[in-house]
Formats: sequence, structure tokens, C-alpha cells
Amino acid sequence: MDHPKRSRRRLAIAIVLVFAVVSVFVGKLVDIQIVRADELDKQSYDKRAIAVTTYAPRGSITDSNGTVLADSVTRYDITASPRNINTDRAATTVQGFADKIAAISKQDPSVVFTALTQHPDADYSLVSSAVTTAQMRAIVKLDLPGIYYVSHPVRTYPDGSVAGNLVGFVGTDGPQAGIENMYNSCLASTDGTTSYEQGADGVQIPGSSVTKKAAVAGGTIKLTIDADLQWFAQQAIAEQGTAIGAQSATAVILEVKTGKILADADWPSVDPNDVSATPAANRQALSFSAQYEPGSVFKGMSAAMLIDTGIGSPTMEATVPWSWKTPEGGRVNDAGEHAVERLTLTGVLQQSSNVGISMMGIKVPEKTRYDYMKAFGLGQKSAVNFQGEASGSIQPLPWDDQTKYNVLYGQGVSATALQVAGIYQTLGNNGVRLPLTLVDSCTKPDGTVTDTPSTSGTQVIASSTAKTVVNMLESVVDSGELASVTKIPGYRVAGKSGTAEVASHGVYTNDRIVSFVGLAPATDPQYEVLVTYTKPTTMKTSAAAAPTFKKIMTQVLTKYRVPPSTTPSTYPATTW
Amino acid sequence: MSSLPAYLPARAPREAQPTRHVEPNRHIEPNRHIEIVATRVQRRRRPRIVYAIVAVVGLFVILMAQLLLSIALSDGAYQISSLQSQQKNLARDKQTLTESLNVLQSPQNLAAQATTLGMVMNNSGSGWLRLSDGSVLKSPTAAGTSSATDPNGQALVTNVLLTPAVTAQQDARMSTPAAGNPATATAGSGNADVASGSIPAPNTH
Repeated sequence: MDHPKRSRRRLAIAIVLVFAVVSVFVGKLVDIQIVRADELDKQSYDKRAIAVTTYAPRGSITDSNGTVLADSVTRYDITASPRNINTDRAATTVQGFADKIAAISKQDPSVVFTALTQHPDADYSLVSSAVTTAQMRAIVKLDLPGIYYVSHPVRTYPDGSVAGNLVGFVGTDGPQAGIENMYNSCLASTDGTTSYEQGADGVQIPGSSVTKKAAVAGGTIKLTIDADLQWFAQQAIAEQGTAIGAQSATAVILEVKTGKILADADWPSVDPNDVSATPAANRQALSFSAQYEPGSVFKGMSAAMLIDTGIGSPTMEATVPWSWKTPEGGRVNDAGEHAVERLTLTGVLQQSSNVGISMMGIKVPEKTRYDYMKAFGLGQKSAVNFQGEASGSIQPLPWDDQTKYNVLYGQGVSATALQVAGIYQTLGNNGVRLPLTLVDSCTKPDGTVTDTPSTSGTQVIASSTAKTVVNMLESVVDSGELASVTKIPGYRVAGKSGTAEVASHGVYTNDRIVSFVGLAPATDPQYEVLVTYTKPTTMKTSAAAAPTFKKIMTQVLTKYRVPPSTTPSTYPATTW
Repeated sequence: MSSLPAYLPARAPREAQPTRHVEPNRHIEPNRHIEIVATRVQRRRRPRIVYAIVAVVGLFVILMAQLLLSIALSDGAYQISSLQSQQKNLARDKQTLTESLNVLQSPQNLAAQATTLGMVMNNSGSGWLRLSDGSVLKSPTAAGTSSATDPNGQALVTNVLLTPAVTAQQDARMSTPAAGNPATATAGSGNADVASGSIPAPNTH
């Protein structure tokens, strides 16, 4: 009160100062809360929020019983942040780190040591890749500061090379072969993303999880294959293939009434777990990709043409020398020299006489034969449309003077093993050719089923013709040259052998492709087995393939509990 | 508090009178007859202490409840977090076990193990009866010494997943008869004796 003026000035200054300070704060507040609010909000969210890629597994491939042939499992990459490796807490040296990790991941300790120390200031270094869950847990248990792990899915094939030729494999760049590649759209999964906010201790803040995109698992492909049967067939052809020194072999087992491929064995076959161990040529399904001149197994089809057109009959007669000069001046020979024989068409099949089938089959016009061959599925890919499948080839009309005889016994024409199997499926199924199926269905995780194959067949020959031909083919197994190695006690079996010459550079060589195909039970065929060996060295006749046929067919009949035939084999007369 | 204003006028004479205030009431007694007495209505309108207490306690309770709720919620977050990690671990366990089971049940392994145990594959031995007339369609035949296949002969149908470690894991779990059984002694080694026909005698208990 003594100095009112001074006092008032002081007050004024104080007020001005207070206002100045307050306005600075207000200005800053407005700037933070309103002007830059969005930007700052985002920055802070980004610090708290963790975006995570969520993985869904690639779909599995199973056999017809659900046995897993291909599956996705999780593997872990062990990574390090060399900057953060703290040896104090772990009370050991970096070398000690490396030794411990290497012992678990079965690596060279020096490699691990290099990974940990090469770039001491780096934040990331890959220590070991694709370790198993057990190894990852053991490494985590070591509790080494600065060591982390990243999970990622990998493909595994529990049955190894069983059906490896069909299943295919997935490489680092994605699916590369077989079903894995063909049905990738069904099997592939879609990665999702999710984000959540975390506190300082890394615990998720409740209610903060936001799924931006859900991960979608891949669908399951179910094959028509039976894994056990597939293994048996692979084992059987591998054993015999090794014994006769063959280059490769295939075995096909079909369910005649449905066209389902129950087994499709190739030897050698790839183990999808270790693709590099198999030469590139053997990484595919030979039964689909390899086309060859099938040889005498074609005679069954030629006989069917003769009977179906009404030109021939099971007892059609011919006088058959072992070597015959054709009217055009060419020559047709049988496999071995024999006396002149009076064979019926049935006898021609039983003896597998090239001369006999040429003499008779030539009576069917070329155009008709060509159309029949097309109708039997030759010269076109099967309904499976397998990766790398060959379509085989029929020479275009008109045929030259030799080809028109050769095609009757399966030379001068090429087919895949599956095409040959298709011919006998048609004969066994009352003349109705069904589309062959390898993939039964694709089932998506939500239960929708897609990729179910077509089952509509086409009538190629009359039902009666088919039955007659199958009956005639019983003569081969019952009393033909290979009867002793093909007859299955208790069952009536129809079959046909093939010993085809392999052409190279336009001439037939000494190499052979031997095969045997058969149907059982012959009275009402249920199953078909085709066995083929390419270029055997120690045994170059179909006698090499016949025992494997018998072994596999016996297994099939036992496995599927086919009742024995109640009557012995009877068939039309073979001679006259 | 409500009676405080009534005393104030009475304090003035106390200053003038140096007597000890042991008995002040006697001197102010004559003034009391002009005291303003609150009416019943006024008294009823006065704020009561109970309301204040209720309000304060209520506030406290709400704050406590909020605190507890928040503790419970964050505790739930920790529980969820721990359960999620437990679930992840169990899922990994399941996957690991499924993976090894799938490998162990592969045909190669089953066949090799069966052969090692001295079994042979007899794929044509089954018999057939017809129930309608009791006839025997096919007589069963006993297994011979040779197997339809020889899975232990050579690794023809390979499976690189069947490592010795995997099969050893399986052998350890099988309750194998202790000593004296030649078949178990050569587990996984592709014993030629077994395949060629010397079936070891079963170690019957």
C-alpha cells in the first residue's frame, strides 16, 4: 500500500507473463491435440502396434484312405541380432554360444560363430535354417540374449517316394511338379495379417487385436491312389527291375468299373523329400510321360475290332507260318520260328502271333481301325491330363504298306502306359471307356468340394464284343506260353503279353520294352494290372514282366477281397 | 457447527471480564433467550452429514471398482497371453507328434519292421468260404519261407525321412523282448537271414 504504482506495475508484468506462458502452452496444446493430432496418433500407434503375418498351412495331399502323402509342417529359422548378443548375462563367450547352438542344430560350430560375429553391429544374421520344433525349443531354452527364431511352413512327404512320382514336390520357388503343381490353386493357402498393441512388457493390450485379413488354409487333395498298394507295386517293380537290369519300369493298377487309378508306380521314383538325389529324368511320372511302341498288348484291341465289325469271330481261322510275305511285298515275322499252325483268332492271341493277327486284321479297313484306335483313347492325353503327359501318336492315314500291318501288333504307333491301361479298362468294362481319374476331389477348409472328375464313359465297342475278347484272353493266362508264371490259383484271369522292339533313329534296335497286362476276375473284371519294363538287359521277353503282374494282381485280389472264381477257365478253341 | 453462530455474541463480554472461563455459561445465560432458533423446516433442509458420507464413499467405491476391474482386465490379458502361448506350444507338440507318426506309419517302415520281426508277406494264402452252402471256395495256405516282397533287402522305395534316429525312437518305445530274440537284435539293419527264410522262433511268455 506504500507504493501502489510499483505494485500495480508488478502485477501487470506478472499478468502479462502468465498470459504469455499460458498462450505458449495453449498454442502447443492446440498444435499437438488438433493440428498434428492424426499424425502423432499414428506415430504412437505404430510404436505400440505390432503387425503380424499369419500363416495358414498349404493343403495336404492324401491317398483314398486319408493317408497323408504330402503335408505342411512348421520349421524355424534361428536368427541372431549380433548387436544385442550379451555374453555377460549368459556367462559365456560368443564361441560358447556358437558351440551350444551348433550342437543342437547339428552344424559346424565355426559356421555358427561366423554368423554371430561377422557383422557385430548388424541387427540380423541367419544362424541356421529350417530346424525342427525340438531343436528350436532346445535353442530357446539356452536363453541366449540376442538369439531369436522365425517360423515358416515347409513341405514334408511322410511316405517318401511312395507316389512321389505323382505327388510331385515344392521347390523354393513354389510347386514344381506333379499334383503339387497341377492342383496348386486348390492346395495353396493365403497368408493373412493381424495387428495388436502391446505394452512395454510385450503383453498384448486387451481388445487391441485387429485382424486385417484372415489367413485361409489350403484345400485337401484326395487321390484315388491307395498308398499301401502303391508301395507294393513300387517295391515289386523295383525288385524285378533290378533283377533283370531294366532301365525303368511302371505298374498301373486300375479299378475297371470306375476308371480310378489305384496305383501308378514308376521305378526309379523320386523321393520328394530329397529331390536332388534323383536324376531329373526320373522326377516325373513315366507312366504318363513316356510314350513307347507298346507291341503285342495291342493284339487284344485288334481282335476287338475284328469281332466288333463282324469281320472276324473268336474262331476265325488262319494258317499261320512263322514268317509271312505280305501281298504288298513286305514281311511280317513271329517272335520265334515255328511250324505252320492252324490258329483261330483266339489261338493267335494265345500264341501272340504277329503273322496271324496281320493276316486277319488287315481285313478291317484302315479308316475303321484308325477310328477305333482314336475311340480307345490313343493319340490323345488321358482325362487326368498329368503334368508332362504325352499324347502318344497314331500315324496319319493313309498308312504305308508296312505300317498297316505293324499297328495291328502295336508297332509303328506309340502310347503311354496309361493309354494301354485305358484300352484294357474298356475291354474289362463291357466296352465302355471311362475317363481315368487320379484326383478324387479337392476339399476346401469350409467344406466345399471341387475338382471331382467326370465319370461319363463312352461305348467304344459292343458289350458282347468286350466280353468275348476278355474270354479269349483267358487262354493266354490259362495255357499260353507264360501260363506257369501268370496263373493265379482260384481265379480266372485274362491277360496279354507284349514284347516291343524299341526304335532308335528310325531302325528297330536290340532293346525291348516288355509288358504284361491283365484283368481279373475274367468273368466280371474288377481290377486291371499293367506292368512294363523298359530296356531290360538280362531277360528281354515278356516273361520278365509276367511274374510281377502275377505278384501285383494276387495282392490286389487279396487286398480287395475278391471272391475266387467258381468255374475254371473256358475259352474258344485256339486251333482248327 | 449449527450452534456456532449462537455463541459468537456471547464471546464479547468474555474479554472485558478477566474471570476464568470455567463457568462462562452463567454470565451469558441471560442472553440466551434471544437466540435464533431454526425452524423445524429449516433444520430439515440443512445438508446432513450422512449424504456427504454416502457421496464420498460412493465415489471411493466407484474408484475402487474401476481399479479392480482394470486389474482384473489386465490380469485377464496376461491369462489370455499365457493360454495363447500354451496353446501354441501344444499345437507344436501335436504337429511334431503327427509328423513323426506319419513317417512311422509309412509302408516302408511298417514292412521293414514286420520283416525284421520275422514276418513274411503271404498275399495268396487267404481261404474262402461260402456261407450259403458251407462250401470251401479256396483253401487257406500257410505262409512259406519267402515273402512276396523283400523290403529289407535294398532300400528300393526310399524314404529319407526314415532316418536311424526316427526308427530308434520307435524301437525304444516298443516293448521288445529282452535277450535271446535274434530278430530284435538286428532292428533296421536289413538282416538277410530273416528274408531268406530262417524265421526266428517267437519268444513266447
